[in-house]
Amino acid sequence: MFADFDMSKKIYGIMAEFDTATEMVDAANEIRLAGYTKTDAFSPFPLHEIDEALGIKRSILPYLIFAGGITGLLTALGLVYFVHVLDYPIIVGGRPYFSLPSFIPPMFELTILFSAGTAVFGMLFLNGLPSPYHPVFNVPRFALATREKFFVLIEAEDPNYDYEVTRKFMESLKAQEVFDVPE
Amino acid sequence: MAEVGKYFVPQGMNRFRTVALGVGAIALLLWAGGAYFSTEQALRSWLLGFIFWGGITIGCLGVLMLQYLTGGAWGVVIRRTLEAGARTLPLVILAFVPIAIGVYSRSVYAWTHLPADDPAMAHRGVFMEPWFWILRTAIYFALFYVMQYLLDKWSVQQDKTDNVFDSERILEKASRFSGPATVIYSLVVTFAVVDWVMTLDAHWFSTIWGLLFVAGWALSCFSFTVVVMAYLSDKPPMDGILGKRHFHDLGKLMLALTMVWAYFNFSQFLIIYSGNLPEETSWYLTRMKNGWGYVGIILILFHFAFPFLILLQQDFKRKAKWLATLGIFILLMRLVDMYYQIAPAPRIAPGYENASLLHALSWLDFAAPVAIGGIWLWWFIGQLMKRPIVPIQDPFFESAVSHGKGH
Repeated sequence: MFADFDMSKKIYGIMAEFDTATEMVDAANEIRLAGYTKTDAFSPFPLHEIDEALGIKRSILPYLIFAGGITGLLTALGLVYFVHVLDYPIIVGGRPYFSLPSFIPPMFELTILFSAGTAVFGMLFLNGLPSPYHPVFNVPRFALATREKFFVLIEAEDPNYDYEVTRKFMESLKAQEVFDVPE
Repeated sequence: MAEVGKYFVPQGMNRFRTVALGVGAIALLLWAGGAYFSTEQALRSWLLGFIFWGGITIGCLGVLMLQYLTGGAWGVVIRRTLEAGARTLPLVILAFVPIAIGVYSRSVYAWTHLPADDPAMAHRGVFMEPWFWILRTAIYFALFYVMQYLLDKWSVQQDKTDNVFDSERILEKASRFSGPATVIYSLVVTFAVVDWVMTLDAHWFSTIWGLLFVAGWALSCFSFTVVVMAYLSDKPPMDGILGKRHFHDLGKLMLALTMVWAYFNFSQFLIIYSGNLPEETSWYLTRMKNGWGYVGIILILFHFAFPFLILLQQDFKRKAKWLATLGIFILLMRLVDMYYQIAPAPRIAPGYENASLLHALSWLDFAAPVAIGGIWLWWFIGQLMKRPIVPIQDPFFESAVSHGKGH
């Protein structure tokens, strides 16, 4: 299956497998305390504790969405102002050209559209998606991450990473098994 | 089985009870004195207090049914508080008596003096007779009371159960009841606020009126509940029950209702603005001139924009005291909103046509809400202290508590 697998090849990181969420969170805590920062965890269901355990900061996505919403609001205001005041002024129902109450529905709609768009595409972008290839799938047992097993990963790019030391450290975490993840 | 005794709120709340009753009684005496000299103004102000505090009571009843329908940890931890709020209903019915007398003696609503051939009177017929108006309100209160009584009865039964099956059965009964009851509730609120508030200006109408109050009263209810929860959150027994996440959830609901309130209000305004028909626009024209326009702008900025931007922030919603401070602020704005709906409406007494804000504003507008509010709070705290503060036998109680401690 992995015909080109070769130990001399570059390693993406070292991954440990656990049977339960609690064991994984405990291990993640130790990994953070050992000073590793380029880490990741994989579980079959969302685990809120893992953010704290691995020291993952809150996403900046809410701020992006707010900025997206403001952009949508101003875009709509600009659009209706351009159309109804500058480009094609026409009197409707005896109201002024710049009739703000009638402009609010499109402003509201574009605020929603832009913030929802920012939420979806910003989430994909910040998650690095779509990602057609990811080295973790080179470990056959990783398929179980969507079913019943829990995995923690330390990337080779971590400043504290040293193959021998990190591998030994991972093995000390009472993991079910420790894998080298080929690039 | 859990020990019931340790789930009562601290006796320290009695202190507030005495203060509230004292302040309320003094304000009531002042109001009664004022009512002797200017009956119409006093009853108008009383209506303001009645709609504001009655709104919290009726809002609590609505949210109580809502949380039976949706489930969720937020509903479990505030359920007993909502029930205590809904149990102030007898007081609200009592507070309606002065208004009923005012309508019967034709001394509070201007429509009681309209000529019989006025279109608003001729086409509505018996609907605009004082006796029928009072009878309708009696029916609204009877329906509210049935809902409140049954939900309360089942809650008491649930507290007395000793196994999860009985408790589950009672929860299911309350949930099944709440579905159709919520539909009836929304219809009753619509009819009630059309009678109580919209008929102040008999020639004006709005079809979103009922929903405006359903949303506004739910917002009042959540703002009030958050204040109570924040007070209890650092004292036993609630310090071991309430968590940041409960306040986060309640804050999210406050945010949603702040938006819904603005959405409904703007919908009403936009439809009238677009239609541009004299019989509809007069309502807003009155409220944009002579100083009333500033009240409208205050509502846009501080009933909507300010709470909206504050509540968008996650950190704010997770801090009980901050959220409670905003809750008090929103409640004040709710009172301003009710004043904006009620005060500029036509009056029986001459000299109030196109009256300015300063001319219409009376000291009774402060005395009446304080009078009803003081007595309301005295009654509410008494009800709150009577029962355990959380439904300890509820099958979801433990998971609701652990939800609060999560992230």
